[in-house]
Amino acid sequence: MQLHAETLTKSYHQHEVVNIEKVTFGAKGVEGLIGPNGAGKSTLMGLLTRRIAPTSGTIKLDTDKGSTALNPLRSHEVARIGLIKTNQRIQGFDSLTIRDSLRLAATAPSDEGIGSIFGGKRDTDEIEDQVATYLEAFPFSDRNGHARSGGEKKLVDILRCLIARPRLLLMDEPTAGLPDDITRIVMDMVRAKVAAGEMRVVVVEHDLPLIWEYCDYVHFLSEGSILFEGEPDEVKSNRVVAEKYMGV
Amino acid sequence: MDYLIFSFSLMLIYIGLAQLLHIQFGLAGIPNFGVVGFWGLGLYGTGVLYVNYDVPLVPAIAIAALIAAGAAYVLARLILQKSGQAILAATLAFATIVALLVISEKQLTGGVIGLGTIGYPFGDFSERNVVYGGILIAVVAALIWVSARLRDSRLGRVLIAIRDNEELAASLGKDTAATKRMIFVVTCGLMGVLGGLSAPLHQFLVPYHLAPSLTFAVWIALVLGGKGHNFGAIIGVFLTFGLFDILIETYAPVPTEQAILLPNFKLFCYGLLLVGIIMFRPAGLLGEDGPHTRSGRDTPRPAPEPAPKES
Amino acid sequence: MSLLLDSVFIGLLQASPLILAAMGFTLIYYLNGFMNIAYAESVTYGAYFAILFNVVLGANFYAAIGPSMLLSGVMSVAVYLAIFRPALNRGVGPTEMIILSVGVSFLLRYGLVLVVGTENLFLNEPPIRYMTFLGLGATNLQLAALVLVFLVAGLLYWMIYNTGLGEQMRGLANNQELAMASGIDPHRTSVAIWFIAGCAGGLSGVFSGVFTQVTPYMGWNVILITMLVTIVAGIGSVRGALVASVVAGILTAFITLVTKPLYAEVALLLAFIGVLTYRGARTA
Repeated sequence: MQLHAETLTKSYHQHEVVNIEKVTFGAKGVEGLIGPNGAGKSTLMGLLTRRIAPTSGTIKLDTDKGSTALNPLRSHEVARIGLIKTNQRIQGFDSLTIRDSLRLAATAPSDEGIGSIFGGKRDTDEIEDQVATYLEAFPFSDRNGHARSGGEKKLVDILRCLIARPRLLLMDEPTAGLPDDITRIVMDMVRAKVAAGEMRVVVVEHDLPLIWEYCDYVHFLSEGSILFEGEPDEVKSNRVVAEKYMGV
Repeated sequence: MDYLIFSFSLMLIYIGLAQLLHIQFGLAGIPNFGVVGFWGLGLYGTGVLYVNYDVPLVPAIAIAALIAAGAAYVLARLILQKSGQAILAATLAFATIVALLVISEKQLTGGVIGLGTIGYPFGDFSERNVVYGGILIAVVAALIWVSARLRDSRLGRVLIAIRDNEELAASLGKDTAATKRMIFVVTCGLMGVLGGLSAPLHQFLVPYHLAPSLTFAVWIALVLGGKGHNFGAIIGVFLTFGLFDILIETYAPVPTEQAILLPNFKLFCYGLLLVGIIMFRPAGLLGEDGPHTRSGRDTPRPAPEPAPKES
Repeated sequence: MSLLLDSVFIGLLQASPLILAAMGFTLIYYLNGFMNIAYAESVTYGAYFAILFNVVLGANFYAAIGPSMLLSGVMSVAVYLAIFRPALNRGVGPTEMIILSVGVSFLLRYGLVLVVGTENLFLNEPPIRYMTFLGLGATNLQLAALVLVFLVAGLLYWMIYNTGLGEQMRGLANNQELAMASGIDPHRTSVAIWFIAGCAGGLSGVFSGVFTQVTPYMGWNVILITMLVTIVAGIGSVRGALVASVVAGILTAFITLVTKPLYAEVALLLAFIGVLTYRGARTA
């Protein structure tokens, strides 16, 4: 599944924040989106997740079933097609335990109708096993309780997205608020899923070593435009990127 | 004795309404301030069909409940995705519209003069209200059972998720608008059923029955007992309606000249209770009651050491 | 043409207490972000304070207006300090605040009933003279009310948009921390706003009372329409509340003139639900 944006612009008060001629996300395995502060990364993420309406241009979502314009879709429709985003700011369901929160994400909406009131067991063994695999990979302070720290909440947010079977996962600053070792477990999981052909990923990050290590392809955004794209080594050695971003 | 059976029957109706409100507000987070409107459509719908068109009681209740559900559907389409305060105001306005139309459409409803009489459907003269009370107990018990199952079901989990963070639930692929609408329409329809069942209790219907005090009484009971607890509605109604309208009114030795002040004293106490509970125990007497999973996996078991996957 | 003029005029006369109530209600909504149902009792108590001065103590009606209004303001502040401020400090959510305000409303209303009873009371009107104004008939009392209400509404409007207090209130409503950092005393400003809102409600009650009668339920009878006006006008725009309440009054009068009054209310409520559909703040 791929996201195509063409002649995409977003302006606030005549000030152009994003102006992208053409970009494709989801063509390679794990893609990185980097750029200096104020380059328009969060605006671009907002556009891709329809939180922000573009001033002009279109975003298209290509799946094996065809191509659809992203903007008229509603949130749950986008998610059901397979485009899912982790949240930069902490989001959660306060009354659900970690386990219930993951079960919720793992359950297909078609199983959540009024008939589920009268069914037997609430969750199938398959879902329980899936949830258990994710839970056991991480040192939660209480696996059967609620997420306590900000870090745990952030981790649950990412796991919810992973377990919801995305086809294209947008990760908005996954390292922010997560301890280093946890980030690594998460990114290893992500890479394993991508290698298995289950999904593609776009990571927006400031943590460049993480980008170089995990990404197969990197988009460099500066002043609202994609200035350079390529494999990590190409991007690292690119003069424009070095000047504009790494302060060389 | 008959009066006591009447009071207990009415209390069952209140418990049923509070239980439905528990689903709407406690689980799904929909602040329905138009309870009396949906109940009233069931009440007057049944009355009009039974008295004016000779429809037997049971089909009359069914049709009236469908009317209530239909009204809920239209209202849901219009305002269910708006802010809580907008929903609250719109449902309150809806209930007022129902009351005004009952007064204005005299040829159907009898207006302020009233509409009657609606008889009990089963049993002979001496015991029919006892039989009817039994039916009400069965209906309300079923409601409580279904509501407990709902809370522990996959649908209930989605409702709680929507209540906590609707946008997040939608971003995980849940059609939050359709889910809320469905649950609102069904529960409002059931409020209509309870309204229809109330028609033989009141026998003679007057617009005074549609005053917003019913909505508030149900809200107060639910908030007092615990909006998020499956038994909050029962406890709340026992402590409000049960205590004041049955115990005190029947058994307390109140001198006649003070007796007329009793209903006002009751409402004064309701106010006091409500203020006290929200200030000092906002989750209600019973508190919040999370899902009890039926798969039994929530019981702690020896946690395996976190095994970092090889990279 | 005359139908239109009639309804504008009748609408303005009917709307005059409503305008005050809507403005006061909006002030609190704007400052604290919840719909205060207990505001109904500011209206009711205003009328009963007027009964106290005008009927029990025998003062002239016009002389009773001022003290009744002020007492209503004092009561509003007392309720705020005793109940709403502690609740807000405990982080009670907006829907629960509304339920709390229903409780406060019951407490005040039925407390009053326990003291004064439920019978309807009447204020001693000043001598009534019928006057013609632009070819339309009205009493001197109605005209005085209209003028006074618009004067007070204008004063409130000026206060909110042109004075330090108004600026502080807007600052607090937008961002409490920032407002406090820039030296605004939230306590003093809130007390002032609750006082002014209570006064507006009291004045509204005095006039609804003199036009018809004084009952313990009179505040409750206007609160629904006040709430709807406030929501339709948008969150806490006093300007909006002013416009919406005038429009609502005129609309009711217009529909009343062409159909039965009950239908006027129904139509108005339907119109409000319709507006909420387009204007109500949206979730997901």
